[in-house]
Amino acid sequence: MNILKYLFDKFFPSQISRPKQGISELQVAFKKQYRNFRSLLTANNNVLEIMAEMEQTLAMGQPFSMSFIRGRITALTTNVYKIIQYLSQLSNGKYSGLTSVFNDLTTQLENILMQQPAVPKGKFIMPFAEIDRDSVDLTGEKMANLGEVRNHAKLKVPDGFAITSSAAHHFIAANNLEDEINRRLQTMAPDNLESVYQTSAAIQQLISRAPLPADIEEAILAEYAELESRQGDHVLVSIRSSATGEDSITSSFAGQYRTQLNVDKEFLIQTYKEIVASKYRSQAIIYRLQRGYRTQDVSMCVGCLAMVDAVVSGVIYSRSPENPRSKWVVIHAAPGLAVQVVDGSAPTNMYSVSREEPHKVLDSKISCPDTTQSSTGEQVSSLSSDQIIELTRIALRLENHFGAPQDIEWSINRSGAIIILQSRPLGLLSLDVRFPEHEKNESEESTPCLMSGGTVVSAGVACGPVHIVRSNIDLLQFPEGAVLVVAHPFPEWASLLNRACAVVSETGQVAAHLATVAREFQLPAIFGMEKATEVLKRGDIITVDAVGRRIYSGREESILTQATPSPNLMKNSPVYRLLQEALTLITPLNLTDPASPFFKPSSCETFHDITRFCHEKAVIEMFQFGKRHSFDEKAAKQLVGKTPFQWWVIDLDGGFREGLDSKNKFIHIDDIVSTPMRAIWHGITAIPWQGPPPVSLKGFGSIIFQSTMNPNLDPAVRSTLTAKNYFLVSKNFCNLSVRLGYHFALVETYLSDFLTESYVSFQFKGGAADETRKLIRITLLKDILERFDFRVELKADALTARIEKKPTPFLLERLQVLGYLLIHTRQIDMVMEDQGMLQHYRQKILADIDMLLKTEIKQDDQGATVNGAGL
Amino acid sequence: MVQDYKILLVDDEPDFLETNRKRLMRRGYSVETAASCSEAISKLETGWPNVVVLDVMLPDMDGIACLKKIKKKWPAMTVLMLTGHASMQAGLKGIAHGAADYCMKPIELDELIEKIRIAHDETSSLHGR
Repeated sequence: MNILKYLFDKFFPSQISRPKQGISELQVAFKKQYRNFRSLLTANNNVLEIMAEMEQTLAMGQPFSMSFIRGRITALTTNVYKIIQYLSQLSNGKYSGLTSVFNDLTTQLENILMQQPAVPKGKFIMPFAEIDRDSVDLTGEKMANLGEVRNHAKLKVPDGFAITSSAAHHFIAANNLEDEINRRLQTMAPDNLESVYQTSAAIQQLISRAPLPADIEEAILAEYAELESRQGDHVLVSIRSSATGEDSITSSFAGQYRTQLNVDKEFLIQTYKEIVASKYRSQAIIYRLQRGYRTQDVSMCVGCLAMVDAVVSGVIYSRSPENPRSKWVVIHAAPGLAVQVVDGSAPTNMYSVSREEPHKVLDSKISCPDTTQSSTGEQVSSLSSDQIIELTRIALRLENHFGAPQDIEWSINRSGAIIILQSRPLGLLSLDVRFPEHEKNESEESTPCLMSGGTVVSAGVACGPVHIVRSNIDLLQFPEGAVLVVAHPFPEWASLLNRACAVVSETGQVAAHLATVAREFQLPAIFGMEKATEVLKRGDIITVDAVGRRIYSGREESILTQATPSPNLMKNSPVYRLLQEALTLITPLNLTDPASPFFKPSSCETFHDITRFCHEKAVIEMFQFGKRHSFDEKAAKQLVGKTPFQWWVIDLDGGFREGLDSKNKFIHIDDIVSTPMRAIWHGITAIPWQGPPPVSLKGFGSIIFQSTMNPNLDPAVRSTLTAKNYFLVSKNFCNLSVRLGYHFALVETYLSDFLTESYVSFQFKGGAADETRKLIRITLLKDILERFDFRVELKADALTARIEKKPTPFLLERLQVLGYLLIHTRQIDMVMEDQGMLQHYRQKILADIDMLLKTEIKQDDQGATVNGAGL
Repeated sequence: MVQDYKILLVDDEPDFLETNRKRLMRRGYSVETAASCSEAISKLETGWPNVVVLDVMLPDMDGIACLKKIKKKWPAMTVLMLTGHASMQAGLKGIAHGAADYCMKPIELDELIEKIRIAHDETSSLHGR
């Protein structure tokens, strides 16, 4: 009995182990399988596209936000999950090992996304005597630096205290505001200024209206009472923002937050809340998005400083902002308070002073002549030479103390003492290096300009339409890429710097906050261009030459050729590093060789690995459908015709002409109605292959050598799957795997009505010749594919090329190109000895393709004959 | 093809419902809206919708629970999840419980329409319609 059964099984295997299914059942099973397969491919395609987008985002330096990262990773995760599900359905639950790998990766990614900066811990109030660089997490950059100036550089600063980040955190937490703030930020459309303003106003209102917890309020008032005891009753204070992360070397956050002067005891608490709220000013929100800071990366600390009764105030740069190697200090001074200098509203006197003793004034520009104040009769705006020397010494001392060029705000009070209000790193660019030749040579006037003059506050050249901004309404209408033209460089306009291509202001100078931010964004800017808002007309195209201090009408190409590429503003920010870290779990591909014993679920280390693995296995499952279901009707048919190689075709769904004799083991190209396969076939056959190119003895030797080194190249050990060239087709889908000689290539395409589903992908690997020759050829392939809009990636001698989301006619042309390349680049690595040969092949290939695309895809392939029925 | 979709938008934000209802209808789709899960269920009981676009945050229950409820009663219904807070875990739960896709707000109208079409294609072919 057993023997009988054995024999029966042996001779009629399908009859016993796999009872033959009825055609309709089989077709249902096949349709289901095919739908899963197609859905898997769609998800697979989504994954590859999202990965490419994420990598490109990191590389390009375009700003991106946490919600971008979270959104992309979520989309990626759901698609990878779908792929695993579809493969599980295709394979009846094989590869269950993928689940634990996937869960592991999602947990790790979740942890990366959840990374939070440490919650600030410490007391709510710190007097200046206790503050220095070490207290930066509690007091913010600005106050930490000021404490350092007072306690270590031993210079005068205003009396006062800091309200710490711990207090701000407690304030927000006690009112449960964090979730609401985040909710509003997440629903904000960052590209829509109106939405940003609305969100900004709503959040600021939320914070300023929330009650301050009693313990913070008591602590502030107690410290204020201490200040009164030293400085006299009812002392007025300035309340200054001092955010963490602000004023660091790479990011200035200049003028992003609020400072309130002359605050008395009655308004102390309310003003404090408003300053904390100013973390969400629109320019601050936009700045953080541009520079890659999350909301939680910035904590709002506040400085409370006794007002300085300033006679004259200003800014010192310990080196010229235009030239970090300059041998002079730049001093700006204006009567009254320093705020007028930095918000750009007042003209200033400017002095360049040599860094060497005895500190001679090298240059001075007096824009605001001395005025006499009627009550006191004091001279207020110009500095005495003693004051200039003392300010210069202070600048050098602070530069020395902090170890980098400094940007210092100062005031001189009525008793003549110099008080330091702020000292921060001068984070500027070496503009002299970027524009070596382009000198401010007024005589070299070749093209007449529209206007000239002013001060270059940020060097560069740009062209765009004029947009004059006087009010918030002008601001909301600001078009992308326009030239921002203003009367005064107020810090508020900073919210436009991510849309503007250049800035022109009638007043202001290099010390204004807006100038600092323009330099940081490497946006060309000229300040002090008188009558700019009158001369320039809204909508007119102008070229701004913020090197030669000129404005030209229209596009001035000779100037624009000197533009420099925009900087990667995101680099090394918290958000940038987070994406970088997340990508290590996503994009690296470790599973490259399906033949390797390590090509298995437990070897997958990234989402890319999982995706690659699933795709490979899904294709195999589809291949084996016929076998598993003993499904002759849909099994492979050999393509007949005059072709140099053998090709098999499997119909997945509607890829063959209706009414075709399903029993025939052979098929003619005319009976194939798969649109993408017909295009590839046209590429394969339109220009006949002339056989292998002549191989020099050296080239041939190289092949023999490689064959002995690499068993995969030995045709004798091909797996059954790759031994033949297979087309898997449906009406709009085609998967072609080719093993011609020593090369392996895979073309896959789906032409959908939906652009998101449509794609062409191409993989190419191997070659018989040595590494150099292979690389020359693969570089040639890359070059040609890129001409045809493919996104190409090279890893060693493996090439991957993709196009997505393009209309069908466009993709059909690319498929013809691939068909051609499959046949014609075959084996040319053997002759790829020199550049001359490379040029020869490049030209021939491009000419051939040109011709190919001019010929119609044949409806009737005349070279073929249906003669295989009996074979 | 366009007229086949009877879309039920479920979201707690009236602005979102109104603008997207108008936009989709301008493109020739039939659209109804619901501001809560219970309202969505009663609209589904009329048998009218064939696509549900479901927000993850609803006033009466969370979107995943609502999805489960819908899928239990109408397993063949095409449901797309839409959210303002992208969350991997919510996304995975959504797909595991039968959502066809999990999309992030803000979403372009064309993208939403294409996702609805693909999702509807996939779900209906799986359920043999």
